[in-house]
Amino acid sequence: MNPEPQEGQSPLIYLNNAATSWPKPPEVLQEVTDCLRQSLHEPGRTTGNGSMDYPSSAREALAAFFHVGPPEHFVFTQNATDALNLLIHGFAKKAGVPFHAITTDLEHNSVLRPLTTLEEEGAITLSIVPFTDNTVSLAAIKKTVSPETRLVVMTHGSNVLGSVQDIKLIAEYLHANDIFFIVDGAQTAGHIPVDLADIPVGAFVFTGHKALFGIPGIGGFFIPEPDAIVITRQGGTGTDSRELTHPFEMPMRFEAGTHNYPGIASLYAGIRFINTVGLGEIERTGKDRTNQFIRELKRTPGITTYNENPDLPVVSFDIAGIDNHEVGFILARAYNIIMRTGLHCAPLVHERIDGGKGCVRASFSYFTTNEEIETATAAIREVAESADSQVRSD
Amino acid sequence: MRWQRVRILKSVQTKVCVDGSLMKEYVLDEPLTGEFLKFLEKFGTVRSLEQLKKPYFSFEKEQFISIKGFVGDCNVEVRYKKECQDLVADYFHLLLFYEREGEPGIVKLKGIEESIRDKMKVRMGSSDGNSR
Repeated sequence: MNPEPQEGQSPLIYLNNAATSWPKPPEVLQEVTDCLRQSLHEPGRTTGNGSMDYPSSAREALAAFFHVGPPEHFVFTQNATDALNLLIHGFAKKAGVPFHAITTDLEHNSVLRPLTTLEEEGAITLSIVPFTDNTVSLAAIKKTVSPETRLVVMTHGSNVLGSVQDIKLIAEYLHANDIFFIVDGAQTAGHIPVDLADIPVGAFVFTGHKALFGIPGIGGFFIPEPDAIVITRQGGTGTDSRELTHPFEMPMRFEAGTHNYPGIASLYAGIRFINTVGLGEIERTGKDRTNQFIRELKRTPGITTYNENPDLPVVSFDIAGIDNHEVGFILARAYNIIMRTGLHCAPLVHERIDGGKGCVRASFSYFTTNEEIETATAAIREVAESADSQVRSD
Repeated sequence: MRWQRVRILKSVQTKVCVDGSLMKEYVLDEPLTGEFLKFLEKFGTVRSLEQLKKPYFSFEKEQFISIKGFVGDCNVEVRYKKECQDLVADYFHLLLFYEREGEPGIVKLKGIEESIRDKMKVRMGSSDGNSR
């Protein structure tokens, strides 16, 4: 599936799937093409029929995938960041008075920046719970909860450490204490089973372009009790158009304007692909590739691995004597191997693991092969050995 | 002495993830050479890793710029130090410009460097100059 390499160039090895998965399944590409080939079916807005109603079909697919409904409570956004902004700011607006919020130092800036903005505006006081052994425990959350706590926002899976939090346990405690719980599932949805029927979340956020195999530009959230959030966007919905106020019905309560139809089509096809392959098989493949990668790194002197037992197919590491950006540059330009370097938009994790310098992250997908892992780890070994011999000669 | 100077055919600008400083990727009209690295050594620290698929080098000049590239490649990545980004915006171009002049070029560029450092001192309100 990889594009043909140019003359003298090795085939592309893409290990940046925690950012955006690639390649996409052929079924996804076909569905996007089909979607763009046909006229749009916008219920209530167009007179045509017979075309595929992608939003409704995708909502039904999402509801089945996450074992929860009704499908109308799945809301489409641009991505997880967009969903988190809508939820966090919408919750604060609903509260109307300052309150205490909790998050963790595992978070992505999509959580940290909206919360910090609210803190700077005086709308919240914010506590950041530290992770221990790469995860955030219920005990750590409990210790931080106060009578003023109204909101907890937390990642399900760390994009740097690949660790999965026990959101069921945490959700049950927070639900019992009437604290709204927003879970950022950007890294877990599509990698591991998420049974929302069994987890009393306030809202669960997902994105389409990572492990759900959709294209960039589509994401969303599930919200069981929509009244917890005040809407911050209004516009055309194709319904109640005589009314100048935005409708309350779900899902249009949170969706204004024309949908991202190709994006929704890709998400719909991505979920179908996962269902066809089987989430268990995808999870098993991810674990195999991750274990193989870590095993190879361990054989190489001079490599520090920050997460030796990740739950997700994400491995973060550094090579002694060479900056992470240089490692990424060399692997990309000399070996045609794509990884991600730097802070991965999660600055607080890096403060803890590497002093804030950032590191190299390899992340795998169902399409990553054994051979690609072998080639990538051999290249990393060459870089490590070269950096080591250079350090010795200095 | 060669008089044909290396020219920049294309540049793509972005920002560095960690600190938001400016990064540019340049495509040159001819590959980088070992001679260019020797020239760079006059102005900062050059590090080479030669046992790789391609011979990698980096150049670091504190408060000015850093360069990453491969000998024999036409592509090069240049990062501009954040504190005085505007003052060093032309520094890579100056390196390309003066490289082919040999010793006179080194002298001229050292002179330009001094005047940039003077401006840095004024801006940063420090009498502390800067080593290579």
